[in-house]
Amino acid sequence: MPALPALLDVRGLTITATLPGREVTLLDDVDLQVRAGEVVGVVGESGSGKTTLARSVVGLLERNVSVAGGAIDLVGETVAAPGLDRTETVRGSSVGMVFQDASRSLNPLMRVRRALGEVLKRHVPGIDARDVAARSADVLRKMRIEDPERVLDSYPHQLSGGLRQRVAIGLAVVTNPALVIADECTTALDVTTQAEVVTLFRHLVDELGVGLLFVTHDLMLASDLCDRIAVMYAGRVVEDDATDTVLGSPTEDYTRRLLEAVPHWSEGEPAAHG
Amino acid sequence: MSQLDSKIATVTASEPMARAPRRRRTSVFWLALPLGVIAVLVVFLPMTGLLHDPGQTDLGNTLAPPGFLSGGSWSHPLGTDKLGQDVLAQLVEGGRLTLFIGLVGALVSIGPGTLMGVLAGYFRGWVDVVISRLIDAQLALPFILIALAIIANRGSSLPILFLVLALTGWAPCARVTRSVAMTVRERQFVLGLRAAGASEARIVLRHIVPNLAGTIVALGTLQVGTAILVESALSFLGLGIVPPDISWGAMLAAGQDVLSRAWWVALFPGLAITLVVLLVNLLGDALLTHHDPRKRRH
Repeated sequence: MPALPALLDVRGLTITATLPGREVTLLDDVDLQVRAGEVVGVVGESGSGKTTLARSVVGLLERNVSVAGGAIDLVGETVAAPGLDRTETVRGSSVGMVFQDASRSLNPLMRVRRALGEVLKRHVPGIDARDVAARSADVLRKMRIEDPERVLDSYPHQLSGGLRQRVAIGLAVVTNPALVIADECTTALDVTTQAEVVTLFRHLVDELGVGLLFVTHDLMLASDLCDRIAVMYAGRVVEDDATDTVLGSPTEDYTRRLLEAVPHWSEGEPAAHG
Repeated sequence: MSQLDSKIATVTASEPMARAPRRRRTSVFWLALPLGVIAVLVVFLPMTGLLHDPGQTDLGNTLAPPGFLSGGSWSHPLGTDKLGQDVLAQLVEGGRLTLFIGLVGALVSIGPGTLMGVLAGYFRGWVDVVISRLIDAQLALPFILIALAIIANRGSSLPILFLVLALTGWAPCARVTRSVAMTVRERQFVLGLRAAGASEARIVLRHIVPNLAGTIVALGTLQVGTAILVESALSFLGLGIVPPDISWGAMLAAGQDVLSRAWWVALFPGLAITLVVLLVNLLGDALLTHHDPRKRRH
């Protein structure tokens, strides 16, 4: 796997927020790589900068937040650097993003068919109606949805939470992006559905060869899914290595404390996830 | 997967859908029904031939009292005015114009109002600052002053009346839609749309505005009442509809100087205005509560 060039190459990324009268550093000299077919977990507590990192790749930072140093390369092209923002060209085409709460990440007034069609028409120039229908059904089948036609004709509120999250993931991958970013996308789900979504992600990565950046505060979930784990603390990546190494022999004190905070980690019991 | 697959009980409760209480639906219905009946009456009654010609004067029979008073005749059920014109026929004819002005007046004010409100609420920043100050400035100006200034300059006509209604009505609409647009833009699907590369124009027009539809309909309804009142006030002052055109406001003005001798000339249009505006406002309030974002769960 190291032979492959990185899909996502974050180098020395520093991001600051301008508040009245002062500057706050949100990300401090962050390095991170994601390769095709690889799942990289970004783990850390709230406020550690993991969501900022995820959003900076697609340029969805708040108005007062900007890249102060370093660069983000995506599929060999620099998309963000100080004074440079080309993220608009990759949104939805090279990168797909899945958000925290699927029940709120779909427009309640749009049937799934129209939501998928809108993304396809935008990113696949000249696509005709038949191809839109075929690809929409196809992507839902890839999401292991058994009756895609029924789901396509449903409004979000008519679907269960798990189905909605599958639809949201489908929306993110329907344009065949090279990289998928999942930002806490299992947090709002119950534990069984979480497990299903994690399995689904694994299949997607193995079948489609996409790279997956999986942002979570849940170390257990990350250890189930990820090939590598980057541990973030206070805007810095404090540890970045293969999952087994991070969990088995953490070099950083913080990682060790994070591991200890997981109930019953040593016995391998499922913890009570929020 | 190993740890998560086993031993965990499924708790996939089906999510209850957000439904308005049944009572609210029926109140909307019972308010809309009489309004619909009134609209149908003023549109179709003149076609039946049962009414007098509203413009037909009869100087031998002026200020005749309504049929139910002594000395009145049932050939003029609501009496006649100082030119001997039938008050009932005038009421129906005036209702056509008044309701038309109410509807069009509402449309011309919620159109720009919604546009400005959505732009301010969605884009925030300097767009919001400029539009919000415009709203404040507009709300600080008394409408009668604006109306006087415009009508003194351009004369009175229907297009001018609609201009006045648009100018005085857009600001309250913009203020409400702005705040609702602000809550919609914070919803996660908007972030998702941006992450999927949707353009700002598409997000605003295809996603934000449809999510505001309930509020816009409710505001528009309230605006119908406001427009009718503004028209009546202007016509009463002789700045709106002037004879030979008839509106309820113009009838009020015509009845004013004979009020002590023939109260029926002014009373019936006054009652009509009160009834319609009351119904419209109650309907608007019911719709607004129905679509209050705080009472919705999505």
